[in-house]
Amino acid sequence: MEVTFRGGIHPKGCKELSRQVPLIRFEAKGDIVLPLGQGIGKPAKPTVKKDDLVLMGQIVAEADGFISANIASSCSGKVKGIEKRRTISGASVDCIVIENDGQYKAVEGIGVRQDLSSISNEQIVAKVKDAGIIGLGGAGFPTHVKLMPKNPAAIKYIIANGAECEPYITCNDQLMRTEAEGILEGLEIMLRLFPNAQGVVALEDNKPEAVEALQDALIKRHAENRIKVLPLKTKYPQGGERSLIQVVAGVDFPVSKLPADVGCIVDNVGTIYAIGRAVAYNEPLFTHVLTVTGTAVKNPGNFIVHNGTSVAELVEACGGIKDGVTLKKALSGGPMMGFAMSTLDVPVVKTTNAVTLLAEDEVEKAQSQLTNCLHCGRCTTVCPQGLLPQLMADAVHVGDLERYEKKLYGLECISCGSCTYVCPAKRPLTQIFKQTKAEIMAIKRAKAGGGK
Amino acid sequence: MNNMINISSGPHVRDRWSTRFIMVIVFLSLMPATIVGVLVHGLHALLIIVLAIVSAVGTEFLFDVLCHKGKSYLDGSAAVTGLLLALSLSPDTPLFAPVIGSIFAILVVKCCFGGLGKNFINPALAGRCFLLISFSNSMTVFKVDMVSSATPVAELLAGRAVNVTSMFLGTSNAVIGSSIAALLLGGLILWAFDIIHGEICFSVLGSFTLFVALFGGQGFDPVFLAANICGGGVVMGAFFMATDYVTSPVSKLGQMIYGLIIGVLGGLFRIFGSSADSFSYAILMGNLFTPLIDMYILPKPFAYRKKAIARQNGQPKLPFSKRIPKSVLVIGLITLLAGAALGGVFKLTEERIKEQKERAAWQSYQAVVPQAVSFRAVAAPDIYGKIYGSSFGRSTINEAVIGMDADGKTVGYAISVTSSEGYDGNITISVGIAADGTVNSIAFTELHETPGKGMLAADASFKDQFNGRAVTSFKLLTTGSVEASNGIDCISGATVTSKAIVNAVNAALDFYNNAKGVQ
Repeated sequence: MEVTFRGGIHPKGCKELSRQVPLIRFEAKGDIVLPLGQGIGKPAKPTVKKDDLVLMGQIVAEADGFISANIASSCSGKVKGIEKRRTISGASVDCIVIENDGQYKAVEGIGVRQDLSSISNEQIVAKVKDAGIIGLGGAGFPTHVKLMPKNPAAIKYIIANGAECEPYITCNDQLMRTEAEGILEGLEIMLRLFPNAQGVVALEDNKPEAVEALQDALIKRHAENRIKVLPLKTKYPQGGERSLIQVVAGVDFPVSKLPADVGCIVDNVGTIYAIGRAVAYNEPLFTHVLTVTGTAVKNPGNFIVHNGTSVAELVEACGGIKDGVTLKKALSGGPMMGFAMSTLDVPVVKTTNAVTLLAEDEVEKAQSQLTNCLHCGRCTTVCPQGLLPQLMADAVHVGDLERYEKKLYGLECISCGSCTYVCPAKRPLTQIFKQTKAEIMAIKRAKAGGGK
Repeated sequence: MNNMINISSGPHVRDRWSTRFIMVIVFLSLMPATIVGVLVHGLHALLIIVLAIVSAVGTEFLFDVLCHKGKSYLDGSAAVTGLLLALSLSPDTPLFAPVIGSIFAILVVKCCFGGLGKNFINPALAGRCFLLISFSNSMTVFKVDMVSSATPVAELLAGRAVNVTSMFLGTSNAVIGSSIAALLLGGLILWAFDIIHGEICFSVLGSFTLFVALFGGQGFDPVFLAANICGGGVVMGAFFMATDYVTSPVSKLGQMIYGLIIGVLGGLFRIFGSSADSFSYAILMGNLFTPLIDMYILPKPFAYRKKAIARQNGQPKLPFSKRIPKSVLVIGLITLLAGAALGGVFKLTEERIKEQKERAAWQSYQAVVPQAVSFRAVAAPDIYGKIYGSSFGRSTINEAVIGMDADGKTVGYAISVTSSEGYDGNITISVGIAADGTVNSIAFTELHETPGKGMLAADASFKDQFNGRAVTSFKLLTTGSVEASNGIDCISGATVTSKAIVNAVNAALDFYNNAKGVQ
């Protein structure tokens, strides 16, 4: 029986474009641009100034507060300045701009194997924090915070998320094939912190090579007791935190609760690999894996990319735009949950797991087919949260936010996009819900503020 | 700014399914029934279908243009409405009907309520019922070999055998889209495309069948049940009308309840009502329940269901044996309760209905034998309740009584006779005969024919023709018949009804003549 969650959709995978292209390290020649805020939490505080010389792996910005993460330089060179630059989200934010000398000279001690036998749990968390690791799956939550739940003994599962359910993206597939042992090492390090936890590497069954590599590595490392590899049905959003917990632990839980509240910690395989590198090799997070793909790219590929690399330069390295096609849409991430970029002249950040360039703008096409809601119920069938998107949209339409929140549990929406994907009337449901959730949260904040 | 790339909110890929795609599939799934209908009923049926579709799309086009509403006429939903309407009309419907029906369906039911997805009842069915109510004379014409005859359901209601095979194939005397085989094929297509789901179809069919079996008076007789399911638009209703997205509830449980309402109402109308078109009304009433169901039956998100909350609190999963789906229990309970309630009402009222019927019969005896002060029944158990003779169609003598004056002298006879060959079910007549054999008058104790046509039988112009005539039998005079001394003028446009009545009266007269002297 195939293991999976309820609901979900089967978008065209399109992974064949890049899934057999091996990971290669891409070393940019141009400037490295490091936005100070790269994930959830407060932007980091710069520790360098203009004209400072930096080495690869050197911390150039420090975490500012509990939920915040360090930033390491990903090249060697000279700091050009701290200035506003446009980022992937389209906003202009403060960035450390480093003039890349092309040498990629690392700080001494990086990459040196550490002795793990004597390392304490506190040291592990400290190393993860110093390395500036955040969730690489997309949200970018500081990982060291996740490693410090209230009750570590209550954690039953550490789930390594290798599902990679977004269409097009294949970099984690390649990472699991080539660095299976590194991922397992990272997972073993995490398991040290949680005595009662079982490690699970969960991935979709469309990656048979990765499953095999992980199983081989498991045997090699004699880790079968505490870790298992769990192939899942290929279905979007299988890689959603909640979908995975549903499958692995059999628990559904509201958005008001954290995975740790139901005894789970979920981290992307890339993040776990980074934990392994940070703890066992003293390597801060300045590279991660990324796929450049899409119908508009000449030579799609998977890369180990340095944080701050220009997207335009990466795309250039893939041969640029395919002859005879026009770039209609550029996405950071995959087509389901990724963000559209207005220009390629932006830097890659830690959470950028893909650059997807599409030759066709399906959203534009969909807008031309927009009709009234048919009440067909396809959105209800696919919602992985068990919500009623058609009624939620109706409630928003009539301005009944009370019904949206209280009766229809509209805040439980995880913005996965499944409802919009299947809607035959081509209604922008996910967009409506994102806006409505933001609106309700803003009202709540205003109320809480007014109460003070 | 020329280098800027379009941005938009995700997701950036979409399923190829569009509204039009769904409508095309639904349209195609109706093709088998359409083709069979045209092959069986000929060119006129094709004309009806084409007119209905053209008027439906045309109406929406005009509305769109006049009200600046974009191009919704292109989404295919109007064409589906037109086709559904046409398929639910008689092949002998005059050609103005599909046009008016489509205009009503699209303009009033759909466009005026906000267009696609906003109609509160199924437009095609609303159009059909609008026609049935407004033009009942022309709507219920069904001809076989150019002679008006009853639909299978009318026959069924009248307690006669029907040909289930011909109903299944669609060669019977019913609406254009009546081929059950073709409709099932269409339903299968929709199911394969995941456009319709089992919840509605099976709860409608299941509850309807159960109701008919429980209260239809013939138990689980498979032929009787099959005939009831195959006739009167039940299959088309269950697969194509009740499943209409817009007018059915959102949740699975809600859909089952909705299906149950339609099935039970359909059965109720079928068994205790008299109209052959009752299923359309059942579905429309089900449609009206939809907003109410959607108001109260909303499934909670997975994380808020009881089981999930128990799991969040660390309780283990229950073994399978303890996990009987709640919806099954609820549905079962509702069915039982509804069945028990209906059965109870039926039982409670059964006795009173019988009493009233008897009283009505005695009152009618008094009316047709006014000279009598008291009556006494004539015993003829071999004859009562059975088809009488061979030359009176399907007429049954129910009872005969002798009317006496104050001295106990016989002053006349009253005979209650039923013909099951009415256009819309049974016709029961009390025939009053004076002591000398002259017909006093007749009175109807059961008559539910087409208003404006068969119902005219109760008018003096028809029924008083029998009064004061001393003949051994009457002859129905239809157009072109030669005048005769025993002639009865036919009700214009209601040959079936007239014939049934004349046959019944003749049966009564024959019984009187043969039983003369029986005391």
